[in-house]
Amino acid sequence: MNKPQGASMYESAKKIYPREIGGRFDRLSKIATVTLLGLFYIVPWLQWDERQAVLFDLPARKFYLVGLTLWPQDFPYLALLLIIAALSLFFFTALAGRLFCGFACPQTVWTEAFIWMEQFTEGTRSQRMKLDKAPWSLTKFRKKASKQFLWITFSMWTGFTFVGYFTEIRQLGLDILAFSVGGWTLFWGLFYGFATYGNAGYMREQVCKYMCPYARFQSAMFDKDTLIISYDEERGEPRGGRKRSVDPKEAGLGDCIDCQLCVQVCPTGIDIREGLQYECIACAACIDACDSIMDRMNYPRGLVRYTTEHSLRHKSTHVIRPRTLVYATLLTALIVGLLTAMATRTPVILDVIRDRNSLYRELPNDVIENIYTLKVINQSNDPRNFVLSVTGLEGISLDGAGEQISVDGGGVLSLPVRVRAERDKALGIHSIDFVVTAIDDPGVSVTEDSRFLGPTP
Amino acid sequence: MISEEYRGAKQWSRDKQAVFTVIWISFLVAAAGTMLFFAVFDPVDLTGIFDADLDVSRDAGYAAGFFFFWILCAVCSGLTAFLVRTAPKRDAKHREQ
Repeated sequence: MNKPQGASMYESAKKIYPREIGGRFDRLSKIATVTLLGLFYIVPWLQWDERQAVLFDLPARKFYLVGLTLWPQDFPYLALLLIIAALSLFFFTALAGRLFCGFACPQTVWTEAFIWMEQFTEGTRSQRMKLDKAPWSLTKFRKKASKQFLWITFSMWTGFTFVGYFTEIRQLGLDILAFSVGGWTLFWGLFYGFATYGNAGYMREQVCKYMCPYARFQSAMFDKDTLIISYDEERGEPRGGRKRSVDPKEAGLGDCIDCQLCVQVCPTGIDIREGLQYECIACAACIDACDSIMDRMNYPRGLVRYTTEHSLRHKSTHVIRPRTLVYATLLTALIVGLLTAMATRTPVILDVIRDRNSLYRELPNDVIENIYTLKVINQSNDPRNFVLSVTGLEGISLDGAGEQISVDGGGVLSLPVRVRAERDKALGIHSIDFVVTAIDDPGVSVTEDSRFLGPTP
Repeated sequence: MISEEYRGAKQWSRDKQAVFTVIWISFLVAAAGTMLFFAVFDPVDLTGIFDADLDVSRDAGYAAGFFFFWILCAVCSGLTAFLVRTAPKRDAKHREQ
């Protein structure tokens, strides 16, 4: 093991106490937190057509997304959607750096909410540091206990909401009140709740620094035109304290008064003045901190600001560049592809399963019979009538061909069928097609191939 | 990298970092793997393969699948992390020569 000299194998528990700071970016991050968490907690309660609007019904293997019902067979859409999400992350990272980390990542958003609760019960940064150093007293216990109460209640509610995306949340709520929740449901609720409590209450910035894979590979998407948060070294150095009346130029000083405020507000505990660091989650707290000091000193704002490496070196910044063009083209192509595929999707699925027990049956009058089980899945929300046919072999017939079959909205019909052909035409293996067509709309039709087996020629 | 105020305090040991990274990354991969796997296979159909009398609900099937993937991925990346660990010191010596 190569460990740093003098450092213990075990981490000494020196906590990071991020200092609260108001400002434009703080306001933005508060808006982002409230919006995103609000969506998370409210969406499962929304109804659509007398069912939950967004429900990933795992027990029934159906996903409801507002008016859309997705089946396991629609998995390619979901995969495509995830690829689009990943690619958008790359695209926005190339353009705007770690905007996602600072404002939209669940880790950041929940940590922010937990810090609000901490501030509410334990007070400001210095009050919190003092409280942690103080010996146990009734006041300390009261403050810590009320913080834990808020944290745990919030975590449990989070776990409950999370499970509510997978089982009907209204029913789940009633089940909880009646103490009759299923074992696995309870387990996943507690699991997610506990993960939230641990990650947002205790792990915080360490998740970003040590565990997040994105933090490690995001630098691959960065270039000199990417928006980053940076300290303007040229303007700030040499740093040093001074009175407000002193003209920094005469004193031979830069604009940085070395107040350490940018360090104190940093949730990951870094010093932005040491340059771009992988720990930086681009939350912009240091910008707010520095701007407030610049205002007080009557210096122009922006000693710490959103900028690009090129602009720091007095070169021009290019928003349109090969990297962003490639990401944008791919992204557009995939989104158009997904929308087209969704729009042209036929809302019926046919699965054909050959009877495994017998290859074929010889009937009197030189007729060969094969048996199949057809599964007709009606993906629309209303019941629909279909008609079934089979093609691919001369004189092939299907009992029940031409008959109407009715499938409920969102239902699956399992239909055993017998297919027959004359013996002399059916020798060997033939490829045949089953066709299911909706009666009310011949455009809604699906073809599935299978095999028809006969005696060896 | 870490500001003066926190230096030497909040750094995780390599072991701790490796353990948590392995757990977390295998969790993510297992989540993706479970999704892919169960999009194709229905746990209710699968249980029949192991034991015809086995009566397992879908919920339990999903959970079992997820933990199976998680443990599998954690064992794999854990062993990898453990085995690649010994190299750096010798490398450094070679470079000096």
